[in-house]
Parts: sequence; structure tokens; C-alpha cells
Amino acid sequence: MTELSPAALLEGSFIALADAIGSGRVTARAVAEESLSRVEKSQKAFGAFLSTDPAATLREAEVVDRRVGAGERLPLAGVPLAVKDNINVAGRPSTAGSKILAGFVSPDHATCVARLVGAGAVVVGKTNCDAFGMGSSNENSAYGPVRNPWNPARVPGGSSGGSAAAVAARAVPLSIGTDTGGSVRQPAALCGLVGWKPTYGRVSRYGLIAFASSFDQAGALTRSVDEGARAFSVMAGADPKDATALTTPVPDVAAALGWRLEGKRIGLLEEASSAEGGLHPDVKASFDRAAGTLRAAGAVVTTVSVPRVPFAVPVYYLTATAEASSNLARFDGVRYGARKGEASLAALYRETRSAGFGPEVKRRILLGTFALSAGYHDAYYGRAQRVRALLARDFAEAFRQVDAILCPTSPEPAFALGAKTGDPLAMYLADVFTVPPSLAGLPAVSVPSGFSRDGLPIGMQFIGPGDAEPLLFALARVLEGASGVLARRAPGAVS
Amino acid sequence: MKIDAALVSKVATLASLELTDAERSEMAEQLTRIVDHFEALREIPDELLAGEETPRAMPLRADAVEACLPAALVEANAPEFSHGHFVVPRVVTRD
Repeated sequence: MTELSPAALLEGSFIALADAIGSGRVTARAVAEESLSRVEKSQKAFGAFLSTDPAATLREAEVVDRRVGAGERLPLAGVPLAVKDNINVAGRPSTAGSKILAGFVSPDHATCVARLVGAGAVVVGKTNCDAFGMGSSNENSAYGPVRNPWNPARVPGGSSGGSAAAVAARAVPLSIGTDTGGSVRQPAALCGLVGWKPTYGRVSRYGLIAFASSFDQAGALTRSVDEGARAFSVMAGADPKDATALTTPVPDVAAALGWRLEGKRIGLLEEASSAEGGLHPDVKASFDRAAGTLRAAGAVVTTVSVPRVPFAVPVYYLTATAEASSNLARFDGVRYGARKGEASLAALYRETRSAGFGPEVKRRILLGTFALSAGYHDAYYGRAQRVRALLARDFAEAFRQVDAILCPTSPEPAFALGAKTGDPLAMYLADVFTVPPSLAGLPAVSVPSGFSRDGLPIGMQFIGPGDAEPLLFALARVLEGASGVLARRAPGAVS
Repeated sequence: MKIDAALVSKVATLASLELTDAERSEMAEQLTRIVDHFEALREIPDELLAGEETPRAMPLRADAVEACLPAALVEANAPEFSHGHFVVPRVVTRD
């Protein structure tokens, strides 16, 4: 049997890597060592990681080698995994990208981490992110920004920017993140990766640090659709620790990957072409090419309207910040994290929170508290909730006409660091296409569809009705085949 | 709608946040711009907004005692912990 090089395996699909480890042609420990070396380089080059524990990683890799030796068949045998720092990994820090959680060590695994580790994945590090998942550029981390491996002067997207940069830099083949309004899909698009959010409740949220509970979902970032689908199969499922986790059977995405598209009805989102600020011309061209690819594959491609999409950003930022103002009340210096101020209990709360939260988190807490406060609740939070319900009805109507909706994931490719930091509203508007499915609890997959003229990745997003993940992965696979992204390596990728 | 420094102060108090004068005035300006943009929601006719819906009813678990985190793990993360309790500044005082 030929022994394989860990470096070569990290350049390919983790499915082949897991097969190689599972069949004894390379050890999980050797792959973990190679990945740890790349993690260090990607941290120096892009700021992708917030913490590592090499000794623990190597111990866990040896456990996988012993399990393989004992005959266990593991779908993720020895696959190096990076975990966003707002998802708990037992015995490791979780800062959520904020100073207020400095020093916090997770007492146990998030359920999605436990499932991935149970399937053989090996955690190699915790990734940088916008504080509490609040941001679209990874510039709101208390520990510095993340840079995009395709061009280090550009952002990687956010809030799971470190998770995206880690995979694009080829430090790891698999990372996980949280997606509240697009925080997995948008960085995936800006870094040339596949990123998915599930149907609301399909993946347990136990062990995620809550931002906005009616939106928060866990998802994965990978270089290919097949890898994304395998991660979904492992992560999805019921969980008694999360009351919102679905208990219905998990859709079989693996079986759908070879589906043919003849007769599938795909709607191009009408509102995408008229989005505020417009589409970047390269994104528009890629959207048009994607429609052509789907037609050539036999799909029936039409245009479909979801009329309230232009209102999705206001609805999202009123409801998500309202939920955040409540969820983040728990950070008060009493039970965990940093503490400041001892003059009184009220001073302890106030000084701890004022010193620990960064400007964007404060801005969102203030906006959410305002939207919920007496005298403003009905006009802002209440109205936003009613528009949210209307948007969900819009989607339901659209899915009577088509099986899935296609639109760009982001209206533009990766923008320059600092380009939007002085204008929070401009940053929020970058989420125009990712927040609509989040508001309606729908699954969505972002897939690379090509490149801009200056070599930056562009992503397209398929949105489906609840439990449509199999179709979404099948559609994404067709676009992936036409995009040529799998043949390209980010210029900043490490080795 | 104009969000002025006084409204920002009121909301900050509700949220247990303390802002400097510079932060207060910057937040007032930014929140005014953001909320002005959000006024677009008023364009949607009221008759389309009849009936608030929640995506899904929240299931309830059995009201039974379950295992919880060991106290040692809780203590390890606490800023101050003594005799099985979190320590905070004195709340009840004798005047």
C-alpha cells in the first residue's frame, strides 16, 4: 500500500483524506502535524486563528488513529477542523471575538462539534470572528481583523471570516461557523468556498454563544460541495439539549449529489437586479452565466419575485438586534469572563459591559434596546415582526412557482479592509441577499460561481423551502463544475 | 426620526452601558441614519401586515431534573466564587 503525503492530502478533498486515514495509508497524527504547521502560517499571514492547543490536537489525532486501528469506520477520519470562536470546544477558550469573554474556557463541546469529533474530525484551532457574530467583514473582532487569502488587502467577509480564511488558505479542509444573517455564506462567497446554513433547527445550537435566537444556525465551510454535504450529514440531527432542534428525519443529501436537473424549476430572484446600490458588474455577469449553466443542465430557469426582499435588511437589523440586546444581557461580569467595577452591583454590570463590548456590539445592543423600548416597540420591533411574517409568506408563494431560488450571495466581491468601517449602514446593506432566507428559516447554500476581473471569487446562493438541502447541494454541484474554482488555489494559500 | 444624545443615554441606561460624550454623540448620529433608513418599513400597507406569525411553536421539554455542569467547571470560569456561590458586591445594606 502506498503511503500518502499529508501535504498532498490537505490540497485535495477531505473525503479522500478521510479514506486515506481510514484505510491506514497515512495517520491522523501526521495529517494533524501538517495542518498545525499550516495553521501557524495562516495565523501569521491572515490572522485567521485566535487559539490553538497543539498538544491536545495531537492527542485527539492519536485517538482517531486508535479508533481506525480498532476497525471503526469514520466518515471524517482525521479531518482537521477549525471552529469559530463562538462555538464551544471542551477545554478550549471561547472568546466569541470579544474581550468580555477573555479567559472563558468551554466546559463541554457544542453538539455540532461533538458530532464532528465523533465522526473522526480533529480540532486544530479556534478561528477569529466578528465579536458575537456581529459583522460582515471580520473587522469587529477585538483581536484584530482577518485578511482574505485571495488578496490580503481585502476582507474575508464575516462574521465567520477566520473560518473562511483558514479553509481558503488550505490550513484546514473543514471549518464551522455560525450563520445568523449570512455569516457562513457571505465569507464563503468572498473566499471562494462552499458555505451552507440549514433549515432552522436542522443542526443543534447547543454550545453556540447566542446572538439572535430566532436566526442563529451552525453551518460549515469547505472547498467543494461534496465536502459541504458530508459535513451537513454529520452535523444535522435532533438534540435533546436544544428545544428548537428538529426531530424529523434528516434529508439524505449524499444521495442527491448525482441528481440530474432536467425539469427542476429555478427562479432567478427578480429583486437581485434592482438591489439598492446595484450589483457589481462582475457579480451581475456571473449571475447571468450561472443562469445559462443551469439552463444547459436541463433546468427550467425563470424569474421569480419575493417582493419584500428590499425590506429584509431593516427587518433583520431591528429583530436580530432586539434579540441580541436580550441575549447579551448575560454578560455582566458575574458568572464568567472579564469583570470590572466593584462599587455596587449596578456599577459592576455597567463597567464590565462598557469595558468588555466593542463599538459594533454596543451599537447593536443600543439599536435593539431602542426597538424594544416603551413608545417605540410597536413602530419598530412590532412592525418588523409583521413584515418578517409577510416575507415568509412571499417565499412560500415563490416556492409554489419554483423549486429553488438563485441570487448572488453578496452584491460585490471582497471589498477593501476599512472601506465600510466608518459607515455601519453600508456594512449592513452588504447583507441584502443573505438575510432574507434567515428571516424565513430557510436553507441556503453559497457556491463559487466564478471570479471577478481582478481575480476575486464570486459566490451564488441557492435558497429552497424547508428541508430542501438535497436539491440545493445538487444544484450547487452543477455551478461548481462550471466555475473552475476547484482548479484554482488562493495566491496566499500556505503549504 | 432624530435620535439625540438624551435618547441614547436613556437607552444606554436600560442596557447597562456607560458611554463617553464622544461615543454618545457618534451613536446618536449613526443610529439616526440607520433608523431613518429603516423607516422604509412604513411604505408597506398595513392591510398586508394583518396577523403576526411565529415560524414554529416552541416545544417544551419535560419538567424533570437533569444532569448539569459540575460545580468545579462553573467555578473555574467565575470571576469570583466562594462556598458554591458567585460573589458580587453587597446588594442589601443597613442604613
